[in-house]
Amino acid sequence: MGSYFSSERFLERIGQILPYLVVNLKMVFWSMLFGTILAIGLAILRLKKIPVIEQILVVFISYMRGTPLLVQMCIAYYGIPIVFGNLFMSLFGINLNRLDSIIFVSIAFILNETAFLGEIFRSSILAVPVVQTEAGLTVGMTRLQTLFRIVLPQAIHVAIPHYGVDLIGVFHNTSIAFTLGVLEMMARAKTLGQASGHTIEGFVVVAIIYIIISLILKGLFCLLEKKLNTERR
Amino acid sequence: MIELRNVKKKFGNNEVLHDVSLKVNDGEVVVLLGPSGSGKTTFLRCINFLERADSGKLNFEGKEIDLKKARKKQILEIRRNSAFVFQNYGLFNNKTALQNVMEGLTAVQKKSKEEARKIALDTLDWVGLKDKADFFPSQLSGGQQQRVGIARAVALNPKVILFDEPTSALDPELVGETLAVIKKVAKKGITMIIVTHEMSFAQDVADKVVFMDGGVVVEEGSPDEVFYKPKEERTKKFLARILHQDMYYI
Repeated sequence: MGSYFSSERFLERIGQILPYLVVNLKMVFWSMLFGTILAIGLAILRLKKIPVIEQILVVFISYMRGTPLLVQMCIAYYGIPIVFGNLFMSLFGINLNRLDSIIFVSIAFILNETAFLGEIFRSSILAVPVVQTEAGLTVGMTRLQTLFRIVLPQAIHVAIPHYGVDLIGVFHNTSIAFTLGVLEMMARAKTLGQASGHTIEGFVVVAIIYIIISLILKGLFCLLEKKLNTERR
Repeated sequence: MIELRNVKKKFGNNEVLHDVSLKVNDGEVVVLLGPSGSGKTTFLRCINFLERADSGKLNFEGKEIDLKKARKKQILEIRRNSAFVFQNYGLFNNKTALQNVMEGLTAVQKKSKEEARKIALDTLDWVGLKDKADFFPSQLSGGQQQRVGIARAVALNPKVILFDEPTSALDPELVGETLAVIKKVAKKGITMIIVTHEMSFAQDVADKVVFMDGGVVVEEGSPDEVFYKPKEERTKKFLARILHQDMYYI
């Protein structure tokens, strides 16, 4: 039994796996950055309820939320080079098949986050009572002024906790990127396991890293929430 | 002077306003009465375009505006010359009482912060809430919130203030303080249109009482005429019911 788990190997694995955390965090950073920007656009477009565009967005969101992320990643990884390969080759001289898989995985993440965050933002804006908008308008503000001065500051309050949960979810989801060959923590743990024949230590290290980072992220969001709440009272 | 002519409004198949007209002179206090569903609130909301009427004309200070086709600029002008007091207060939840009153002064009227602050504090003092200036709406009682709402309206120095059932959401014991402030506004000589169910208050403060039912104006006149010598059967019935109810509560 002793040979299944040795603390020596465990300590060794920490040093071997931890540097790859940067790759996971990179994926989180880019998908949250672009995901948030696109999601704001998506939320505003959906709230405007423009015919045709509205239906297209509903289908998009339903696809992104209704299919597993791994499937979306595979479609992005194998589909994008097929559909856009020739275009990119002739326009920019880039061979999409040669690009690092992390790019396709990140694209899948960004689109997925656009849908999820878009719905979070939309529902947060809708959660602000209508009378707040009406009050802004009767005071003489324009719609844009009302949105930025009254509605959005209140909507952010509603959105922050959901945003935090979502961000931690994305961080966890980066662990499936290894299936498409992204060299991150899970991939490293798996190859180390295969090379040495001792798999468990690596995965335990990965689990612990995930727990610690998740707790740190959770703590940061709790602080942010608290800060916003004390500002309000 | 504000004059509304032939205002009509449908929600789906439900015709809420069926050709309503109203004339309000400067400095006049007009009270709209009527059973619920009679269209009073909708009519009030049509005046500053919170609700878009299906047809009708608005004459505001000599400027004629089509209620259905009004442009953004015209709507903004009406809103910047009028103020609205909501049934459920409508205070900005993310701002203190003081900031609530200042908001329109700085963001819309482009007054300097110091000037806005001074006006806001004076107005809050005037409604008896200077000590609550830095409180958020969630920390104030209903009556206090509504008084901040009235202060916000008055501070803008509007040509007309529209009151949408300002005391309906309040505890009975808080109604008095709010009505007292509204009376104070009336004494200032600001034109007001008030939707209310407070009969004795209406008698006290109104220059003109308008009784609405089923989306039409049934009867209008001085408080004495409408309350003591109503001509229409519907008005009589309504008053009998309301006055009876008052008796019951006493």
